[in-house]
Amino acid sequence: MSDAALPAAAVRPARFRLLEPVMLLWVALIAALLVLVAAPLIKMLLISFEMQDTGEFTFENYLTAYGRQRYIDALRNSLLLGALSAAISTVIAVPMAWAVSRTDMPGKGFTWAMVLAAFIMPPYLGAIGWILLAGPNSGWINVTWRALTGATDPLVNVYTFTGMAFVIALHSFPLVFIFVKSALDLISSEMEDAANILGGGTWTTMRRVTLPLVWPSILGGFILIFLETIALFGTPAIIGIPARINVVTTQLWQFFEDPVRVEVAAAYAIPLLLITVAMIGVQKLMLSRKGFVSQTGKGGERRQVKLGPWRWVLFGWCLLVGLLAVIKPLTVLLQASFAKAWGRGFSFDNLTLRNYRFLLFEHDVAPQATWNTVWFSAASATMAIVLALLVAYIVIRKLMRFADVLGFIAMAPFVIPGIVMAIGFYAAYAGPPLSLYGSALLIILAFTARFLPIAYANSQAAIRAVHPEMEEAARILGSGRLHAIRRITAPLLKTSLLGGWLVVFIVASRELSAAIFLVGPRTRTMSVLLYDLSEQGNFEVVSAFGGILLFITMVIVGIGMKLVGRDFMLRRE
Amino acid sequence: MFLIDRRQMLALAAWSAAATKAFAQAPMNPQEAQLYEAAKREGEITWYTGQYSADASEAAGRAFNERYPGVRCNVVRSTSQVAFQRLSQDFRAGVGQCDVFSSTNGGHYVQLKRQNRLVKFRPVNADGLLPILRQADPDDFFQSSFLGIYLMGHNTRLVSEAEAPKSWTDILDPKWKDKLAVGHPGFSGAIGLWALQMRTMFGPDYLRRLERNKPQVGRSSIDPVTMMNAGERSVGVAVPSASTLFAMSRGNPLKLIYPTEGVIAALSPSAIPTNAPHPNAAKLFQEFQTGPALSAAVRLLFNESIRPDVPPPEGARPLDQVTMLAPTMEQADRGVPEVREQWREIFGV
Amino acid sequence: MPRLTLTGLTKAYGKLTVVDRVDLTLEEGEFVSLLGPSGCGKTTTLRMVAGFVDPTGGTIAVDGSVLSAPGAVVPPERRGMSMIFQSYAIWPNMTVEQNVAFGLELRKLPREEVKRRVGEILEVVQLNKLAHRYPAELSGGQQQRVALARAIVVKPSVLLLDEPLSNLDANLREEMRFEIRRLHDEFRITTVYVTHDQAEAMATSDRIAVMNAGRIEQVDAPHLLYTRPRTRFVAGFVGRTNLLEARVEGGDLLLDGVNLGPAARAGIAHGVTGAVLVSLRPQAMAILAEEPPANDGLLLRATIAERTYLGEAWDYVLKPEGTALTLRAAAPPLEAHDVGAHVWLRIDPRQVAVVE
Ligand SMILES: Nc1ncnc2c1ncn2[C@@H]1O[C@H](COP(=O)(O)OP(=O)(O)O)[C@@H](O)[C@H]1O
Ligand SMILES: [Mg+2]
Repeated sequence: MSDAALPAAAVRPARFRLLEPVMLLWVALIAALLVLVAAPLIKMLLISFEMQDTGEFTFENYLTAYGRQRYIDALRNSLLLGALSAAISTVIAVPMAWAVSRTDMPGKGFTWAMVLAAFIMPPYLGAIGWILLAGPNSGWINVTWRALTGATDPLVNVYTFTGMAFVIALHSFPLVFIFVKSALDLISSEMEDAANILGGGTWTTMRRVTLPLVWPSILGGFILIFLETIALFGTPAIIGIPARINVVTTQLWQFFEDPVRVEVAAAYAIPLLLITVAMIGVQKLMLSRKGFVSQTGKGGERRQVKLGPWRWVLFGWCLLVGLLAVIKPLTVLLQASFAKAWGRGFSFDNLTLRNYRFLLFEHDVAPQATWNTVWFSAASATMAIVLALLVAYIVIRKLMRFADVLGFIAMAPFVIPGIVMAIGFYAAYAGPPLSLYGSALLIILAFTARFLPIAYANSQAAIRAVHPEMEEAARILGSGRLHAIRRITAPLLKTSLLGGWLVVFIVASRELSAAIFLVGPRTRTMSVLLYDLSEQGNFEVVSAFGGILLFITMVIVGIGMKLVGRDFMLRRE
Repeated sequence: MFLIDRRQMLALAAWSAAATKAFAQAPMNPQEAQLYEAAKREGEITWYTGQYSADASEAAGRAFNERYPGVRCNVVRSTSQVAFQRLSQDFRAGVGQCDVFSSTNGGHYVQLKRQNRLVKFRPVNADGLLPILRQADPDDFFQSSFLGIYLMGHNTRLVSEAEAPKSWTDILDPKWKDKLAVGHPGFSGAIGLWALQMRTMFGPDYLRRLERNKPQVGRSSIDPVTMMNAGERSVGVAVPSASTLFAMSRGNPLKLIYPTEGVIAALSPSAIPTNAPHPNAAKLFQEFQTGPALSAAVRLLFNESIRPDVPPPEGARPLDQVTMLAPTMEQADRGVPEVREQWREIFGV
Repeated sequence: MPRLTLTGLTKAYGKLTVVDRVDLTLEEGEFVSLLGPSGCGKTTTLRMVAGFVDPTGGTIAVDGSVLSAPGAVVPPERRGMSMIFQSYAIWPNMTVEQNVAFGLELRKLPREEVKRRVGEILEVVQLNKLAHRYPAELSGGQQQRVALARAIVVKPSVLLLDEPLSNLDANLREEMRFEIRRLHDEFRITTVYVTHDQAEAMATSDRIAVMNAGRIEQVDAPHLLYTRPRTRFVAGFVGRTNLLEARVEGGDLLLDGVNLGPAARAGIAHGVTGAVLVSLRPQAMAILAEEPPANDGLLLRATIAERTYLGEAWDYVLKPEGTALTLRAAAPPLEAHDVGAHVWLRIDPRQVAVVE
């Protein structure tokens, strides 16, 4: 009766199963994760206790790293800056998220576009834009303010602690927005109706019911921005140095001055790591109380809250944020990129293509840096997605005894500040025996590791969405595990993986903190070159190069929207 | 103000183009020709430089590529301290990437020489340099490639010439509070030299008093020029003459101030590190830097010529009419790291 | 030789044993259900048969060759079985036709044969008109049919179904029950069918294996399972019942001192004596308002304590007089008795079963 077409296999003894090709792949995966994540961190921890040159055990590095008030101040500044930026981001983003998710506010498409644009604008470009806007004497805002009011004091000053925090927040708030909005999207309107029926007005309901339900997401976004901010290098170097604010990242950079003191840098970075671990711990603690809306539950319909005239107030808020985060900085950057001298403002005799021409045709490194950026980003996005996909697959399908450990390692870079990661990579791989310093591989590996968590979260969500029975149905009909993955799982995952790939590509293409310590003369990326160019304050050329970077990003985003869907960057799975 | 009319401009351009071309095509000396052959096999040379501005460095790289087809120059321009940092990182990692290292801070060379990290080489063209530059190192481990003049400048719209500071100590007057801009000795080699010179001349309090006027701290010594262009600050301290003149040529309302005590002169060399991956191309590049082609290329961007046979840039005061102040290399070797640390303690960054 | 043999099949996750020494044999062409409450280990058993889960003890053999033993398991793709999943697992990126053809293509059959067999099976499940649709364009019932077609078309040695109907609405579920049985009658594929719904199991199966807490409690034909439950669990799980204490003395069953006579002897396992538990189905009793003329000793006087009308029948709770018992009995709609009324209760001794 039954088909005998499938070979009746003999039972194989257990020990041979270990050598199945699948097993070898798993071993390779573990090795890859060790190389990418564990080894750099361990190496960094080790050398932080080593004497330079001799390698003897010592605590000296820690004494040096924390032996000066200035160094401790830098740490304090970083923590304050992180907290302030995160707080400002939250204030900016939560009303926007609520408005877009739950209300009948007009201009939602516009708000989306602004959030997306603020997200893809590299923070250091935003910083330069804001120097042009809010320099105390020459910034457009202040010039206009003085012209209008005759005041002598500036209205805003970017070269201050709050100025810097604000500029950082303007490019970080999309993270809070994404977190909070996706949580709000899951709350049933019945939750609000229940409060309404008991006499709660729209505002009370929002304050007492809706927002508390998404508190974990707000907190998650806050912590993420805190971590991103303390790891940020570009903005503190561009704004912080003139503002004379030293932070951890610029201090780490100083430890790399001659003589290069990687050991001290490592020692200086370790507490940063502890702080992030502590933050995550705090988050866990705060959320351990039950009673928050399940992030995955659906249930119930969702209606828009009618705001009446207030919807215009909310829209005004979104418009203001869009103006500050995107429209204004972008306008001045574009103006500068096409200007002979940006200080002369907008006039026809000030227009030129010289800056672009210089970069594209006369500059020795710019075209190469552009190419480097594209292919490093593409390579690391590919590696990160492939790796993350395999790990997520193993973890979700519980294919191995300690699969969760793999998942944990893949997520670990999430809490490691990028700059710490870079120092770990430098310590582990720059020198002998591998001597990768200056090679493309070093940067690609570092980017892969740095963005592995994004890829992993993405892959995890994608795989979760594919019922394991889909694969099992193929296997029972005669297809092997890898064949089933190829024929069934992979096609089902294609779209969401492409989305993940594009997100990693975009964040990698603008990454500065990790790149700055690892680039060699032939491996400079656009972000590093932008940083180098900005040293001289040649904002016309810097802006033009920023324009090129933004153009590349826009093309990628455009492709993504076409292939994956409009909100692929802002979706949180 | 440096202003020329259209006719003069055309004439100048024509002359420059012709002269530059002539210098670019000047016949090679025998050593140079021999090195060129060897360099062609290596194909490229990587140049870490913090001396000339980004524009001028790129122009120098292009001039090199034109003069020596088949050998490509990779220009890695940053501030001098950063360039040195990258070189140190290379040595630390045991990876040779840099063929020629050019810094405005002469102290770097003293240190590298002491650590036996430099290749001994004397280009034939070095004999044709300005007399003060001819023998940068008696042992020939490094050769002059740059003469930078660092002085002050002011935005003429914000500060009249009469009001403008005249000397390095004038800027300590509280009336300049919030009006000054300066580079950072942690990034710029020239600013390191300047800070050291100020400390030597005016005592250790100079930086502290300067700090009270809250100067805007950039990274590169060129950054204050931009700040003046924009009107963000009215006086630039220790700005390079070349970048200022270049900005003026583009119509920015700036003017140079030659301080009464004298200008800071960065008489800076270049050297070949022992781990240079393209040693012959590196030597060829040293011939190029000491030869007329480099000076001819960079003078168009208002940098000083380092050879008597190439005329100085337009608009700059002739060198024989200015007092040049400069710490010796040995002083720089010890003093710059010290003054940099002091700066950080005072300025916080 | 039996088609499928499970011998002492055991699965433990750490200290937790979820399938415990299961023995089960299926003859070729037989349809056997695994019936039991949720969490009793049905799916685990089925997935061990499929090869997705490795047993920690015991073996699984098909046609006499062992496919699963602890540490040595033939992977699912080489077992020649097929399976229908709770989620259907219809691949959304393939059309109906492609879904159904997948297994045949893996068997490297010639293209024309694949086409022919796919056409035939789609005809059988009445999907021939929808062959080029994508799953998203099908209703739940149609998807279910695709899953059936995909599983049957490869003529598997064993067909496994894991609660295939639980995602359908009630009417469709009933329809598909018969559909599954019809397909089985047509193709006679050896089938293991997992369900927690006894009606489903009864309607489809040749035999039912009742599982509880990882163990098989009884394997029997559906009607025997009902009338002769062998364990307390089976009696309670398959239909409703009254569990009563009774005694076996001299081969006779005594319920509350009343000897149920020779008719009840068939329900007593050989050699049992002393205190036992019996299952007495509500349907095994008749309620009489008057004492019947012929009292054969199997009558009890009782009082109606509660009553509920269920539409198809009355559900009475009765208290036999002079005892502490409470009994549930069913009666047709016209046999209405008031609460508190004194009635006579007649027990059908053939339907009394001693359980363990
Ligand atoms: N992978 C697993 N690890 C631990 N326990 C499991 C696993 N799979 C199933 N179980 C447990 O085994 C028991 C039986 O599960 P299952 O076979 O799915 O039951 P059923 O299908 O009868 O509802 C359940 O208690 C379940 O929690
Ligand atoms: Mg189940």
